[in-house]
Amino acid sequence: MTDTDRTSGTSDGDLLLDVDDVVKHFPVRAGSLLNRTSAQVRAVDGVSFSLKVGETLGLVGESGCGKSTLARLVTALHPVTSGHIRFKGQDVTTLSRRQMRPLRRSVQMVFQDPYGSLNPRRRVGSILADPYSVHESLSRSEVRRRVQELMARVGLHPEHYNRFPSEFSGGQRQRIGIARALALRPELIVCDEPVSALDVSIQAQIINLLEDLQAEFMLTYIFIAHDLSVVRHVSDRIAVMYLGKLVETGPVEEIYSRSRHPYTASLLSAVPVAAKAFLGARKERVILSGDVPSPVRPPSGCRFHPRCPKAQAKCAIEEPVLEQKPGDTPGHLTACHFPVMADEPLAAASRDEPPSAEQSTLVEGAQR
Amino acid sequence: MSLIRADLGVEAVADQEPDANRPDKEFVGRTPWQLAWSRLRRDRVAMVSLGFIVLLALAAIFAPLLTALIGHGPNTEYSNTGLSLSGIPVAPGHNGFLLGTDDQGRDVLSRIIYGARVSLEVGVGATALALGVGMVVGLVAGYYGGWIDALLARFMDILLSFPILLFALAIIARFGPSLDLVLIVIAMFSWPYIGRLVRGQVISLREREFVEAARALGSSDLRIMFIEIAPNLIALAVIYATLLIPVNIVLEATLSFLGLGVLPPTASWGNMIAEAQTGDLFTVAWWFLVFPCLALVLTTLAFNLLGDGLRDALDPRHGRSNITPPTKAQKGLARLRRRATRTAERADA
Repeated sequence: MTDTDRTSGTSDGDLLLDVDDVVKHFPVRAGSLLNRTSAQVRAVDGVSFSLKVGETLGLVGESGCGKSTLARLVTALHPVTSGHIRFKGQDVTTLSRRQMRPLRRSVQMVFQDPYGSLNPRRRVGSILADPYSVHESLSRSEVRRRVQELMARVGLHPEHYNRFPSEFSGGQRQRIGIARALALRPELIVCDEPVSALDVSIQAQIINLLEDLQAEFMLTYIFIAHDLSVVRHVSDRIAVMYLGKLVETGPVEEIYSRSRHPYTASLLSAVPVAAKAFLGARKERVILSGDVPSPVRPPSGCRFHPRCPKAQAKCAIEEPVLEQKPGDTPGHLTACHFPVMADEPLAAASRDEPPSAEQSTLVEGAQR
Repeated sequence: MSLIRADLGVEAVADQEPDANRPDKEFVGRTPWQLAWSRLRRDRVAMVSLGFIVLLALAAIFAPLLTALIGHGPNTEYSNTGLSLSGIPVAPGHNGFLLGTDDQGRDVLSRIIYGARVSLEVGVGATALALGVGMVVGLVAGYYGGWIDALLARFMDILLSFPILLFALAIIARFGPSLDLVLIVIAMFSWPYIGRLVRGQVISLREREFVEAARALGSSDLRIMFIEIAPNLIALAVIYATLLIPVNIVLEATLSFLGLGVLPPTASWGNMIAEAQTGDLFTVAWWFLVFPCLALVLTTLAFNLLGDGLRDALDPRHGRSNITPPTKAQKGLARLRRRATRTAERADA
């Protein structure tokens, strides 16, 4: 199935999640009591993608591009402003709270901050018993048995059941977070930067755990990260976000070796040199000028055009569609009027500019 | 030091013991409460205050037993032994009256013990009531936000802007003084303090990721409020309740002093002070004015000091006042002192 006919949705039984033109605007409250809702933050502005069972979609982009908001829309933590999210063919955006309950079992989330995501005043056993007390009526001993089984599965000592989160290290806490997400045997787990708060050595352990669990329980992941090496390692497909929109999506090898969008290319070129050989990224560094524009007032046309080395007059007027470009494999979609060619020297446009502070933060973001 | 060593010891044991050896042996870590208690125990002022409060509470609970031991009831007028021939109260230590007698020949100590009953009942009772109402209202306002919050927060602001004493006087004058009414009226005007505090805390807590995680699991609002958020409020509530108790004790004493709280002959510190002040007998027999005042002051002080200690113990992030780094002013002062000693030394030479 190519992604161009994904909206038909019914043709493939393997389709797990279908996100269709989803928009999320947050009102910005400013001014006095009488003059409210002056502006909208367009956190997610028309995003479409789909996921098959057992697949991992890597979602990358700078801080503030709407990755985490998208994650919270998929897990129904925030209501969408418009658009549809279909989970196994059922539109979840229109469900009431009560109707949502079965969905909560199937879609779970692993959070970024292992310190903030566990209640400091509750014992781990009680935190991990939550999924069972909310969704099932089991005896105390049965809950306890399951919790300890769960703890053992994610590599924790089951007898640490009575400890408080503060008695665990960051990596152990993230294991607790994963155990909580896993408790109800979900089908889709949204991982919102699950390793970015951890040491590099611990990151590998957690990623291996997530991969083992995926194989064992047939899990589907949406994996949000800004570490491009991690994303490449875990993902089957990549989606690149910029200012609330998808700019490029496709199979992982396609994106890393033949990226078509100038933003993707510059993101990949920001990877440190040692990792570049592994990633197959372009050798020269593409330096972007300027800062990420405000999502309250995004630029006209292509949102990337003020910073794009290839931008032309058309880019400021006409918004490019996310579509398959000539010569690309099916499933590789790019939203660009002038997609990058394989050996095109992208950096030429802005090479003579020294890297500014904003760009180094972009590099940092991509490296982390 | 001993705390650190104890912690290390526990960790070491936990790591050495292979888990398979003792599968049914549970590991019990130190709870946040145990840690707070160990911090509080090292605070001498707070511990002395706690000791005083515990003794006072025991005295209040066992008041009938205690007065039986003393041999003097609180309301009995000992016109033969308690008053001199000219009607002057007996001084402390005479005729078996440890703290003397009052103008009607009643035992001051027995009356203070019975007064403690009233003070603690109203102080603790009204605070408990205020705590319950304040927690629930604060949780609801902070958690739901929007118009619910606007309504509840405004209501609390309005209550707080009332001149408490005037309103309490008006209400009690209307319904007639009684202990229960005093308790309810005091609670009515003190819960907004707790409510506002809890509301602020909840507004920050509800944005935490663990609340989001609970929501992702499908937890109900009630569950999130009372199982996820409420445990994080208890430390704050305990501290402010401890600081609210003395305020409410003083409020009760004030009402009783004005004759609208506990009515004579039932003893309350407030009405004891009021009665002692009516004549000018206290100029010769100071004890029956001073001792009730002292009881009130010491109790208030003890609760306040304990509250401070609890704040240090339960919220270590705020830092103890005695180990905070010196302020700019203190540093400047120290520099000036050093300079002064140096010039003095030079002058000596």
